[in-house]
Amino acid sequence: MSPAVETLDLTKTFVKKTLKGSIFKRMIRRVTTKPEHVTAVDHVNLQIGEGELFGLLGPNGAGKTSTIKLLCTLLVPDQGTAKVNGYDIVKEPNKVRESVGVVTGGERGLYWRLTARENLLFFARMYDMSDHVSKPKIDELLKLVELDGRADETVEKYSRGMKQRLHLIRGLIHDPAILLLDEPTLGLDPASARVIRDFVKQRLQREQKKTILLTTHYMDEADQLCDRIAIIDNGKVIGLGTPAELKKSLSQADIIQINASNVPEAAESLLKNIEGISEVALSFDDSDAGRAQLRIHTMDAESVLPEITQTLVSKGVKIHALQEIEPTLEDVFIGLTGRKLRD
Amino acid sequence: MSLGKEWRTFNAVFRRNLRLFTSYSTWLIATIIWPIPLLAMNIYQYLGVASSRSVSTTLSQNYGLTLSGMIIVGTVVYLLYNRLLWSTGNSLQTERWMGTIDVLFLTPASRLTMLLANGLSSLVEGAWWIVAIFLLNWFIFGIQLTVTSWPAVAITLVSTMIALVAVGVFFASFFILSRAADQMASSLQAPIRFFSGVAFPVAALPQALQFVSLVIPVTFAISALRATLLSGGGIVDILNQLLPLYLFTAVFLFVGYFLLRIVEKRAKKDGSLYQM
Repeated sequence: MSPAVETLDLTKTFVKKTLKGSIFKRMIRRVTTKPEHVTAVDHVNLQIGEGELFGLLGPNGAGKTSTIKLLCTLLVPDQGTAKVNGYDIVKEPNKVRESVGVVTGGERGLYWRLTARENLLFFARMYDMSDHVSKPKIDELLKLVELDGRADETVEKYSRGMKQRLHLIRGLIHDPAILLLDEPTLGLDPASARVIRDFVKQRLQREQKKTILLTTHYMDEADQLCDRIAIIDNGKVIGLGTPAELKKSLSQADIIQINASNVPEAAESLLKNIEGISEVALSFDDSDAGRAQLRIHTMDAESVLPEITQTLVSKGVKIHALQEIEPTLEDVFIGLTGRKLRD
Repeated sequence: MSLGKEWRTFNAVFRRNLRLFTSYSTWLIATIIWPIPLLAMNIYQYLGVASSRSVSTTLSQNYGLTLSGMIIVGTVVYLLYNRLLWSTGNSLQTERWMGTIDVLFLTPASRLTMLLANGLSSLVEGAWWIVAIFLLNWFIFGIQLTVTSWPAVAITLVSTMIALVAVGVFFASFFILSRAADQMASSLQAPIRFFSGVAFPVAALPQALQFVSLVIPVTFAISALRATLLSGGGIVDILNQLLPLYLFTAVFLFVGYFLLRIVEKRAKKDGSLYQM
């Protein structure tokens, strides 16, 4: 069976624009210097099976949204190609668009002064659906996401979570076979995010058998929802597999997690110098400037622990908790890039 | 291309715009009020320096026009130009601000049909302005219309509206490319007003400047409407104005359509269409 989504060396490059300097300096620079390019999607090769919930996990700027835009034909690739539902994204863009529903989310993307029902009716008409087909479908979709009670209120009165639910069903209005969800829980509170995730997993994948490509930078979300995950960084796919397979790739490594305070920024490089330590990631607590967390990858935790604690204590670090933990996708990312997913 | 599909797209955008327009009470109030000060300004710029009778006598002797007639027609066409240019030309830029442009471009709906629907939906507002201007003049100035052919008036009005929508289609692409739609449209307003005969006859301009008037569709629209409403002109009398208007319509529509395709193609290459 051919994949629902397939990319072959998919590549997209943008010209880097800089607004540095006055308008005259910028004009001169445009004429005299060669433009700098940024490769947003770098020879990406993916295959997503029918009915699969596939995750594209990476930090901001990794190329996730650009990949989505290429697959739904909003961008054209500079190299490589892709097929969505068997249709080439460059040669058959109209067929591709009929096959996909794209959900971007956020505060924009809806008409705030229209009601939810009016928004959906408008988009249904733009998909050339007749009213007698779309109206019952809209009722059904609104009920599915529990917006039926407030369907006739203007969207500007909706909470962030409600808008996201509306975005989701807007993407479903023409009943596409494939859904491209671009960070669908971004900016949502935990309860709303959970509702969205459950909806995606239960209703969309399990019940409606949709093929779903979901982009996210939340590793828990990818771990919880996705059948397979591609880890993307700087436009390249650097890891691919099921969550279990990816974590197993680190099974040889021990992960030590230390919660501490008074941690100097140099702690990361100091600990990396210790023999037997392969990676160190330091992150500071956003809510408490004095607190930080260290995740240390090593082949043998027992042998390096004394030196780790001695190094930290000698720099005045106060260790609150120290434990050996099972690797997470965050650790997989650290192992592959040397940085945390949120950096 | 299926006519049924284009009609459904047109209908969807048209109805959405009417709904959006009526949802803003401040805009409704402004629409009702706006013709009044605009018309008053155009008339009183003359009456501030001379009496209505002396101005009308001068206009009549030199250009065959009355003051109120000249101002009414000029104001109506200028309001239409303003409304149609903004609503058509700015529509894709507005979708970009709303964040809906990528979602819309994913649908099979024709971009041109969307633009036309955006332009023509604003005629509902424009229709009120036309009525308001004439009612104001009827009550305040008692304007005497000299119409021998109402079909000629209707044809002129419809031709004007279509021409102005075509201009809007043409500018829609520029507004997206530059991301400075407001500034571009604003920078056009004063020259259009000056050169097209809104507030004074084109013939009053120096000869060299009158050539500029010939490249502005609004000039021909104003001239044709003045001829049919105020001077009893029929279709044959206004052919010299209608034919250039139709030519402008065809050129702007044709070029605008292809420009739009070029802009969309370029935007898919550099991603600029979806960025604010």
